[in-house]
Amino acid sequence: MSQRSLRDRILDPSETALAWALLTPAILFILAIVAYPVSKLLFNSLFDVRPALGVPITFVGLDNYATALSDSMFWRAVKNTLIITFVTVPGALVIGLGLAMLANMPFRFRSPIRLALLLPWALPLAFVGLIFAWFFHSEYGIVNDVIRRFGGEPQIWFNSPALTMMAICIATIWKTSSFMALILLAGLQTIPASLYEAAEVDGASKWTQFIEITLPLLVPSMLVALIFRTLTAIQSFDIPFSMPGPGEETQTLAMYIQINTVDYLDLGYGSTLAVFMFMLSMATTFVYLRYVRGDKD
Amino acid sequence: MRLNNLFTSKRLRWFAAGIVLFNGFFPAVWIFFTSLKNEVELTAKPITYWPQNPVLTNYIAAFRDQPLPGYLLNSAIVSILSMLLSLFISALAAYAIARLNLKRRNLILTCIIAVSMFPLVTLMVPLFEIMRSLNLLNSYVALVLPYTVLNLPICTLILVSFFQDIPRDIENAAMIDGCTRLGALWRVVMPLAAPGVFTAGILAFVNSWDEFLLSMSMNAAVAYRTLPVGIQMYQGEFSFPWPTISAALVIALVPVVTVILIFQERVVSGLTSGGLKG
Amino acid sequence: MIKCAATSCLAILLAGFVQFTAAQSAPPVPVNLKVYVGGQQRPDLMRELFAQYSAAHPGVKISLEIGGATSELNQKYLNMVLTAKDATLDIFLIDIIRPAQFAAARWAEPLDAYFGKDAEAELSRYLPAYREANTVNGKMVALPALADSLFLYYRKDLLAKYNEQPPTTWPELARIARKIQQSENNPNLQGLSFQGKAVEGAVCTFLLPYWSLGGEIIRDGKTSFERGKAEAGLEMWRTMVSEGIAKKNVAEVGTDDTRKEFQAGKVVFGVIWGYAWNHFQGGADTRVKDKVGVVKLPAMPGGKAVSCMGGWNWAVSAYSKNKTEAVSLIRWLSSPYVSKQLALKGSFHPVFPAVYQDPEVLAAVPWFADALPVVESARPRPVTPVYKAISDALRINTNTVMAGVKTPKEALDEIEQRVARALR
Repeated sequence: MSQRSLRDRILDPSETALAWALLTPAILFILAIVAYPVSKLLFNSLFDVRPALGVPITFVGLDNYATALSDSMFWRAVKNTLIITFVTVPGALVIGLGLAMLANMPFRFRSPIRLALLLPWALPLAFVGLIFAWFFHSEYGIVNDVIRRFGGEPQIWFNSPALTMMAICIATIWKTSSFMALILLAGLQTIPASLYEAAEVDGASKWTQFIEITLPLLVPSMLVALIFRTLTAIQSFDIPFSMPGPGEETQTLAMYIQINTVDYLDLGYGSTLAVFMFMLSMATTFVYLRYVRGDKD
Repeated sequence: MRLNNLFTSKRLRWFAAGIVLFNGFFPAVWIFFTSLKNEVELTAKPITYWPQNPVLTNYIAAFRDQPLPGYLLNSAIVSILSMLLSLFISALAAYAIARLNLKRRNLILTCIIAVSMFPLVTLMVPLFEIMRSLNLLNSYVALVLPYTVLNLPICTLILVSFFQDIPRDIENAAMIDGCTRLGALWRVVMPLAAPGVFTAGILAFVNSWDEFLLSMSMNAAVAYRTLPVGIQMYQGEFSFPWPTISAALVIALVPVVTVILIFQERVVSGLTSGGLKG
Repeated sequence: MIKCAATSCLAILLAGFVQFTAAQSAPPVPVNLKVYVGGQQRPDLMRELFAQYSAAHPGVKISLEIGGATSELNQKYLNMVLTAKDATLDIFLIDIIRPAQFAAARWAEPLDAYFGKDAEAELSRYLPAYREANTVNGKMVALPALADSLFLYYRKDLLAKYNEQPPTTWPELARIARKIQQSENNPNLQGLSFQGKAVEGAVCTFLLPYWSLGGEIIRDGKTSFERGKAEAGLEMWRTMVSEGIAKKNVAEVGTDDTRKEFQAGKVVFGVIWGYAWNHFQGGADTRVKDKVGVVKLPAMPGGKAVSCMGGWNWAVSAYSKNKTEAVSLIRWLSSPYVSKQLALKGSFHPVFPAVYQDPEVLAAVPWFADALPVVESARPRPVTPVYKAISDALRINTNTVMAGVKTPKEALDEIEQRVARALR
């Protein structure tokens, strides 16, 4: 068996060889685009790199990391990012699941429903933030208008960090529940109808069917959706940037990284912050991946 | 029993449908109304919803002030190309991970996902240097290559998940019939994983469509500018002309909505007959 | 055979001679200059000017690269390409707050060497503040192109109705505004509108009263913060809000919001940049045409009247391959002739006092007569390479004070801390 000719090995490679061959395009692309930038990033985080100030590049070891850990603005950014993550990830999941199930139902007007599902996707992200910022404007926004019409007390949303975060989370959940719904919908499609039929025959209620059939079989799709929703939540930038609260109270980690990297051109510190974000993302992914089930055989 | 009835009651379904429709359409409808208003009306109190005197001047301004169709075309080209490339490469990689005997699968998967863990802004200057040294600035390639790489993680993960769902017997049957492994991938597995493929495709498409930072840096020339960067150009130093920008957004939505309407059948219904179910 | 050889040699020599003379009188190698201008900087006018220059200087071709619509976006883009040492752009039009950063980063070519002995004569024609803003560590790094300043716009019809003269101090402004608001009986009428939103304009909001009292941010490269004056300034704004002269949600008010509301007739006094005038006089749906006057910004009690300087400048890239031609071009672009053209065709504020008083200009843009004293009272924001960090410190904290989220004392603590770190 190990004496196969070269021709045979190429035309009918062993599994491992084939696997690596299939992975090669992906690996090549990733290395070509990402290897240099990422290594420069790690490199920069150990140096004082401020090219725009004529300061010479000096090795500072872990100083940047120490500065970040004692930087109150860094911790505030982390706090805001975590709030957004812990609110919008479950929020988008729940609403996305509801939307997906509704879109999956036999319903007379399927097209408008599905369009409604995907329309939030079609609006460029940069403008979703601006639109919602206008919705929450204290004088000209519809949120306060509706509150007034119901006799409530209109708020100056962007004068309060808490209210601003609420507005940001609403906008984010709105935009990303479509993302979740899309993935969950595809997952719902793979659940055989026969399972439901059998359950009906056994007299199970819709709720039980949901808990016992739908949810467990949706776990793989949910995990995929959750991993990426979480990674994007950790990197939240566009929406919090377009809906600024008072001062920088609602600044996220991605915003803080951008300011340091592009505005202040403090590449050393900016890279360090990016490494922290990477570590946060990696930790989250590890937690999720332990639940990704093995191959179904 | 009552709970059961609750879920099947027609009224609840209509109510829930109403919520879905409202949720999806409301901002788009608001943008549409705004695109018909005059700037002054935006700061009128009490605020108006439907414009008092609808005007079409904003649409004229949207086309006149910026080459909007050009932006749309560029965005479409870049998004479609990166979507196709992502799907192709991630299909190969996902097949390897899901199907083939590979040690350290999880590690490889984690490495691929790790690509999305770096905020784009920190990779920008080196990426710009790479593209510049290859003389690729202000071209479609300058965007398609990075977008493909950025979409690889999510496409791969979705496809891995869907490939794993397909029983091995089907491929084995195909191979007994004389198919090679790769043939089995394209002719058997991909069609069965169609919902996943279309989902990954749409996600890759929209991620590329939305992207702003790289596009602004790589393709600053007007001829290659994409939509998000282009729409931002309607602003003034201090002014943000909502009516004109709303008109531009409506115009930008039309092709995307059309594409969605065409493909949503495919996304929602896979090939569910035979093969997989039962 | 010798005749053949001789003829060939002669032919070759002749050919060489012809080529040699041809090369001497051939036109110079064409130079291609690429100019980076923001999307909102009237690229159409710029093209006209470039065409004029090219016609007068054969061999110099000028192409325009149009950048982002706002100063911020332009700067992010330039930051990135210049950090990557990009050599495709020869000339940029940069915001008045950038020359110091460009100088420290060595992105802008110092210009003194190119001026030679004409230097003093040429440079002294500019408004002194503009020359100062473009000179970093004794070196001229950019040439002024367009001027701007914060003006106090006021409703001269309302002031005339109540027999009032434009105010010279903030308390006086408050008094007049209150009187008008009460007598007009219009709940939507604001006495004063200024920028509380955390945009760049909020830096000026902070600096106006502070400078008026004589405060400085940086002296000789080190922070020289005077808290008492800063607190007095912030308190002055807060009093305007608490007394109802300015709106409660002033933290949401950005530059164009003030302009729009003034244009809709809802404001008595507005602190706005120069661009507003054309909107008030000629904009669609303007309700204040011919009812607007401009005057210097009020002073704090016991202080001076100062304004905040804006504007744009031409710089030559240090990475450019055509520096000499580029410098010639910007010297022309920054001349009184071009300044006058821009004033006549685009209503841009000139950077030369002489041009403000030119009869043709005054005929086209009569309000420049009132504008000149205001522009002359304007001061540049801190000229330092780390201006962005200082700007963030000032505008963010001004915003939090206006939003009521921080007290002036807490805000000033943070300002001091951040400015110190920026200057490290």
